[in-house]
Amino acid sequence: MNTIAEKKLNETFMAGSCSPANKRLFSAVVSVNKQIGRRFFRLELEFSAADAEVLANCQPGQFAQLDLSATALPPAEAIPENLVDVASRKILLRRPFSFADVTVKGDKTFVDILYCVVGPASLRMTTVSAGDSVSVIGPLGNGFCVPEGKSITLLVSGGMGAGPLLYLAKVLTADYPQLEVIAFAGAKTASQLPFEARLDEISQQLGFSLGEFAKYGVESIVATDDGSAGFAGLVTNCLTEWLDRHTLAAKDMIIYSCGPEAMLARVAEIAEERKLDCQLSMERMMACGIGLCQSCAVECKATDSSETTYKLCCKDGPVFNSREVTFSL
Amino acid sequence: MKENIDISVDFAGIQLSNPVFTASGTCGYADELADFMDINCLGGFITKSITLKPRKGNATPRIVETDSGMLNAIGLANIGLDAFIEEKLPVIEQLSVPVFVNAAGENIDEYVAVVQRLAAEKAIAGFELNISCPNVAKGGLSFGTDPAQVAEITSTVKKAVGEKVLMVKLSPAVTNIGVIARAAVDAGADALSLVNTFTAMVIDIETGRPVLANRTGGLSGPAIKPIAVHLVNKVYNEVAKDCGIPILGLGGIRTASDAIEFIIAGASAVAVGTANFIEPGCAVKIVEGIEKYCVRKEITNIKELVGSLEVK
Ligand SMILES: Cc1cc2nc3c(=O)[nH]c(=O)nc-3n(C[C@H](O)[C@H](O)[C@H](O)COP(=O)(O)OP(=O)(O)OC[C@H]3O[C@@H](n4cnc5c(N)ncnc54)[C@H](O)[C@@H]3O)c2cc1C
Ligand SMILES: Cc1cc2nc3c(=O)[nH]c(=O)nc-3n(C[C@H](O)[C@H](O)[C@H](O)COP(=O)(O)O)c2cc1C
Ligand code: FES
Repeated sequence: MNTIAEKKLNETFMAGSCSPANKRLFSAVVSVNKQIGRRFFRLELEFSAADAEVLANCQPGQFAQLDLSATALPPAEAIPENLVDVASRKILLRRPFSFADVTVKGDKTFVDILYCVVGPASLRMTTVSAGDSVSVIGPLGNGFCVPEGKSITLLVSGGMGAGPLLYLAKVLTADYPQLEVIAFAGAKTASQLPFEARLDEISQQLGFSLGEFAKYGVESIVATDDGSAGFAGLVTNCLTEWLDRHTLAAKDMIIYSCGPEAMLARVAEIAEERKLDCQLSMERMMACGIGLCQSCAVECKATDSSETTYKLCCKDGPVFNSREVTFSL
Repeated sequence: MKENIDISVDFAGIQLSNPVFTASGTCGYADELADFMDINCLGGFITKSITLKPRKGNATPRIVETDSGMLNAIGLANIGLDAFIEEKLPVIEQLSVPVFVNAAGENIDEYVAVVQRLAAEKAIAGFELNISCPNVAKGGLSFGTDPAQVAEITSTVKKAVGEKVLMVKLSPAVTNIGVIARAAVDAGADALSLVNTFTAMVIDIETGRPVLANRTGGLSGPAIKPIAVHLVNKVYNEVAKDCGIPILGLGGIRTASDAIEFIIAGASAVAVGTANFIEPGCAVKIVEGIEKYCVRKEITNIKELVGSLEVK
């Protein structure tokens, strides 16, 4: 396996070191809002030619803030039991969502977002339909960066965390054909895997390839906590087993991960134990997403002391080096 | 159309091109909003609270949304005076908008230290004294609820500001805001800003715990607007009107009509806080909306509107 040419890296990804395209407020038009699983949806937004320039330099790992405050509630029967109480709460703040894909078709740019219904805003999001316009602020934050000299990248997602890793898989395979990319996708149970594949297609076999990753030529491994699809157990256990079975040099590998905080903490631990480079996409409650409010603090180790400092998830992240983050779980 | 309309404001001697500020803690230190609006189109800009030493702030979650509002418990996280001077002041020097530095501290000496270091800076128009932050263990709100302490901190800091304008930011969490406002004015405040946030709590009923790591936070946003309008009107009537001290009114402003309510209640100028998070360029739209209102109501000078509340 070849290593990646250093020059190309520096041109393409420089998390934290280069300031990505300026963020802006856009009015995007919904082209698709489709249910892909019990609580999972894919939203596709269309941006005008005039906006394309700003979005052209988007990086995987970056995100956008969507204003869903003026969006209607779904009919009562479509509201999940556990959200009945919170459904009618008024939405004030925007909500952050990662780019799951950015594509250019002709003079239009399309942005994909994979989302999960967890509360009032994401519930309302399900009711927007093709032709509606949505106010979007983006692109925000710093994306994943590819350090020099890696030949194998492992993408580890939990639940909805798959979104940004799909986009990363696309960019990695397009820009670095020599690179081997393997995706690990975990969820509590098969129906909570945020993929369009029909459940009966998700084989019990380790090594099943999810269509979304397969289209980029990326092998994917599914893990479910209850064993209803793929590996039975936590995706982090699946990862350690895989690492045990493959004797690869740590310096050749890098892990990219996105998912629940407990999973990220474990991924960081695995990386630490095995001396692997690892980048994590973190989530925090965000009021602004653009560095104004200091609400999205991520506790990090200070470089020059044993103290910790807070970095901003929206501005310094959401992608962090696993070595710098202090988890308190 | 706009030629015969004057919306400029004399704010304690500072000439503002219009009455709209952005509020402390919701617009960064200097140019963070520049991708969304021309900051120089604002009437005034107020920095995040600056303390003598950098502050990490509170653990997360630091915010939670509520109906028509949000709670924050940031804990005055800021880069500290030295980094502010080194990194942000040069940016502020490039701005033409009058900039106020919001100063905070754990004791009076810290407030004085911040103000003293910056008092000679040409780029800074004045200071806003934050004696009303509900989210820190020491200082903050404790200075703002006792008239004697308000007087002491105001008069002490006043000696350090030199020629600069000293604005004192009041907490709404007091029994009688008029008494606090009076104490600040008598001790030398050149202007008053109100309100800061209301101490509040949100409980997660599944865990039985408060959502915020700090337990309580400050409520801001549209939910507090009617209370803030009332408090501005009260302070205007009881204190500001007679002594000619301008009020900066804030709390839940999202639109020009919100801003105009505050002005009618007695505010000479207004500040936009939480709304910056939702629509980062809205302050400039509010300026335009105020202008349109003046045209429609045939108001030639915005001064006519200040405190024009009709009570029959
Ligand atoms: C950078 C970033 C990227 C994200 N990308 C995606 C994505 O691609 N797809 C997706 O479905 N979701 C994503 N999220 C999470 C998404 O923003 C939240 O699910 C959404 O804000 C929930 O809003 P709500 O009103 O539906 O629920 P709320 O009532 O706001 O929240 C429901 C539950 O989710 C928790 N929660 C909400 N927001 C967050 C958060 N930011 N971090 C941790 N816990 C949270 C709350 O504590 C609560 O328990 C992302 C978050 C961040 C910070
Ligand atoms: C996230 C956040 C941070 C804030 N930080 C500060 C601060 O550092 N200093 C200060 O004086 N006020 C601070 N405030 C208070 C605002 O300046 C303002 O007084 C309050 O939010 C009410 O206005 P609003 O409803 O328009 O937001 C903060 C408010 C919010 C929401
Ligand atoms: S969300 Fe406001 S600073 Fe990050």
